Amino acid sequence: MKSRPNWPAGLFALAWLAFILGPLIYLVTVSLRTRSEYLGKSAWAVPDALTLDNYVTVLTGGFGQYLLNNVIVTVATVGIVVLIAVPAAYAVVRNTGPFVQRGFTLILMGLAIPAQATIIPVYLMITRMQLYDTLTAIILPTAAFALPVAMLVLTNSLRDVPRELYEAQSIDGAGPLRVLVSLVLPLARPAIMTVVVYTSLNAWNGFLFPLVLTQSESSRVLTLGLWDFQGQFGTNVPALLAAVTLSVLPIFAVYLIGRRFLLSGLTAGFGK
Amino acid sequence: MSRRSWVRPLIAMGLVAVTAVVSACGTSGPGETSGGALKIWALEDPVLNKIEQKSIDSFKAGGGDASLETFGNDPYKQRLRVAIGSPQAPDLFFNWGGGNLKEYVDAGKVADLTSVLDENKAAKEKFIPSVLDGAKLDGKNYGVPMRGMQPVLLFFNKKVFTEAGAQPPKTWDELLTLVDTFKAKGITPIALAGTQAWTELMWAEYVLDRFAGHEVFKTIRDKGPEGWKDPAVVGAMTKLKELIDRGGFGNAFASVGYDAGGASTILAQGKAAMHLMGSWEYTNQLDQSPDFVKNGDLGWIEFPSIPGGKGDPSNLVGNVSNFYSATADSKNLDAAKKFVTTTLHEDSYIEALIEAGDVPPVVGAEEKLKKSAHPDYASDIYKMVLDSKNFQLSWDQDLPADKATFMLTQLQEFFLGTVSPQQFVDAVAAR
Amino acid sequence: MSSQRPSAWYAVPAFAFFALFAALPMVLVIYLSFTAWDGLGTPQLNGGENWSRLLDDSEARASVWRTLLLMVMSWLVQTPIALLVGVWAAGKQRSRAVLSSIFFLPLLLSTAAIALLWQALLEPNFGAFVGGPLFLGDPDIALYTVVLVISWQFIPFHTLLYQGAARAVPPSLYEAATLDGATRVGKFLHITLPQLRYTIVTSSVLMLVGSLTTFDTVLILTNGGPGTATRILPLHMYITGFSGFEMGYASAIAVVLVVLGTALSIAVMRWSGFRSMSSQQEGS
Repeated sequence: MKSRPNWPAGLFALAWLAFILGPLIYLVTVSLRTRSEYLGKSAWAVPDALTLDNYVTVLTGGFGQYLLNNVIVTVATVGIVVLIAVPAAYAVVRNTGPFVQRGFTLILMGLAIPAQATIIPVYLMITRMQLYDTLTAIILPTAAFALPVAMLVLTNSLRDVPRELYEAQSIDGAGPLRVLVSLVLPLARPAIMTVVVYTSLNAWNGFLFPLVLTQSESSRVLTLGLWDFQGQFGTNVPALLAAVTLSVLPIFAVYLIGRRFLLSGLTAGFGK
Repeated sequence: MSRRSWVRPLIAMGLVAVTAVVSACGTSGPGETSGGALKIWALEDPVLNKIEQKSIDSFKAGGGDASLETFGNDPYKQRLRVAIGSPQAPDLFFNWGGGNLKEYVDAGKVADLTSVLDENKAAKEKFIPSVLDGAKLDGKNYGVPMRGMQPVLLFFNKKVFTEAGAQPPKTWDELLTLVDTFKAKGITPIALAGTQAWTELMWAEYVLDRFAGHEVFKTIRDKGPEGWKDPAVVGAMTKLKELIDRGGFGNAFASVGYDAGGASTILAQGKAAMHLMGSWEYTNQLDQSPDFVKNGDLGWIEFPSIPGGKGDPSNLVGNVSNFYSATADSKNLDAAKKFVTTTLHEDSYIEALIEAGDVPPVVGAEEKLKKSAHPDYASDIYKMVLDSKNFQLSWDQDLPADKATFMLTQLQEFFLGTVSPQQFVDAVAAR
Repeated sequence: MSSQRPSAWYAVPAFAFFALFAALPMVLVIYLSFTAWDGLGTPQLNGGENWSRLLDDSEARASVWRTLLLMVMSWLVQTPIALLVGVWAAGKQRSRAVLSSIFFLPLLLSTAAIALLWQALLEPNFGAFVGGPLFLGDPDIALYTVVLVISWQFIPFHTLLYQGAARAVPPSLYEAATLDGATRVGKFLHITLPQLRYTIVTSSVLMLVGSLTTFDTVLILTNGGPGTATRILPLHMYITGFSGFEMGYASAIAVVLVVLGTALSIAVMRWSGFRSMSSQQEGS
């Protein structure tokens, strides 16, 4: 069946396209301007010349270190969350004891607790634990606050597994650990993908914990580094926007390589 | 991707993560932070940081070990507070002296430098005594000056003034007239970086000083918020409101930032005629708009007097200087003391500051300043400070952090017109 | 049979981790709300001083109001657009596939990056709208400008949710409606919307939670300004705690945030049926 074109919707989509794309075009074009062009000419004027100097300025200004820190924080956070949330979700689905069920309820209560509400005690704890200004200080609370969503997504997915599958494995004499590895892990794969994508985006974009819990350049992550560039570059907004552009590139690469993976991972857990 | 292939990497990733966390815990344990390089914190400044780094290099050459870390203005104040409460505090930290330093001294976090300064007469006698006093509390020295003196001046764009046939304002009434002149020409009379409330504070500080004299604020600082109720405060704020309502600052100031350079740039470009700012504006302009300074278009004068006002027109507000203070718990306290008494008064350091356009707080600098790259500016500042009857530290540095934060917020509301002079006074007096 | 089930130990690491770094801070923040602490020494108990002060604090009340306004505005702006764009993008046409891959681009930017980008874009002297509205500099529209930026950031995500859900609507429903002579609008109202109702709930809850916890966008864009026009509750807490260094009082504000968050969490569980799923499980 061929439907006739939907003109109003198409126009609306085009307007939306302009709204989404406009700021991005601004981002890239300004990052290619010289500082004097930026200060002297309207943003709408065609620049006389484009330059990559701003990117050089950024790359020689500590960007690499911030990026590396970001990668460490993200990988470690995701690692911790997956390692402890998968067995826990398995226990929640298959162990009906009060300890596990009440604990799960408690974790779900944390679903909408704003992380910033706890920043003062977290700061107090981290300094008392002698962890202030380390990447660990960012990783631990970030992982803890990722647990509610991770557990939710994982338990929802494991509940869809027919009980007969677990029982068949048990009849075969498989212990819980083997069930975890040979049944739960493969079946929870889409959910784990979601957890990985969701947690890594959260850790990658984290701002408040790094802001309060770290201070030195050697433990500065990218989000905070971008903010600091603002003071450092002054009116060199093109360089600032070059830094912003560069900060997007790693995720953009992931997007190009695994668009479906990224997008479905983001939503799979909420899709039902 | 086969079913198995992704399981192992994930588990491996988790194990790596746990190992990383465990090992990070280990290396940052308390036992290993002793000794090592002297950790020095300072405010970010593209020009001065290089000089500070050089003094550290020369300290290193003399057998010491130190490293410099810098932060932007607002993050600096936050991070310093947070870090000083933590075991990872810097050994030496940049500060503004006054009430700001007092909070740290009261908490027992700052080392007394009196005796070490007395032992090193050469260092102590090099600094202008009144400036050294900026970090003196209860008769004890807690800081050594490490940057230039930074009074707040009224900067202006000479070219814009010439084109308008106008003279820089000597009195408040002239300033108000100039507002109309520039507005008529489509030029923002005064650049203001209103996203950062301390730029607005400079106006309140000077207007109150010129209108009622410097004692009013001293009372507020020493006797508490009740001091705000002095009728002179409402009077001064009413004067300031006149200027705001007349369009002195244009209408876009509320989203212009100083750190982002917006206000300085519109002055340099001639889109604004005047800009009230600390003396660091000169070095800042030199760095960001070098041609503007080199063409001789950047002018500066002291803040205009207010006819009938009680304040001495020579009074200054701003940063008396910046200081290095040592943390009391520092494991490198001896090295820190050595650093502040050996590097900061050295000729090479002083000369480098002068060369960068700073005016160091040392005695007998006239000749050096005259030979500097910016003789007029440097000599003017030096003279202004020596001649000033009173040099008031910026209020936000001289009040405790909670009071200062609240005052700054109220001031932003005041500049937006949502809070009247009386409401401003009532609010800050109630704290 | 029960011996073959995983023991509670499987859940212990996750529970312990959550307890230590998320639950304990929540308890501590309540304790701290009864103390005076300037960030330098150790917290000192000061009774209910912070709480009685909070009751009188008009700024705190105003920031709660702004937070609620932000939540409602964000929802009102984001939901219809995300719904329409999502349903449109669910279509099979190639042009739609290409466009929708562009629609998702903001998802790739971190909040800090987005805030810095928009700040530069809206800068009154050098941005893209010189001489236009002041956006972040106008106290009357600054909060709405924040809503605009948040929408730019998050609508793509919700579009994605709706796109996925709209694709899962059985085509037979539409075919039957077409045979009955239903219009395009009619089909949207009577088939698409009812079919998407669970997605609408999920997306709305995520939006509300998201705007309650908005922090870095506003910190970078306006730092709560101009004046206090965009000082939402999390920011009021942050400024009180880390600028005024009244950590005890800031903790009391944080408790208010926790209460709001918990209320929302319970609502999440009620509305979206997560809790009912687990109680079914308990019966098994």
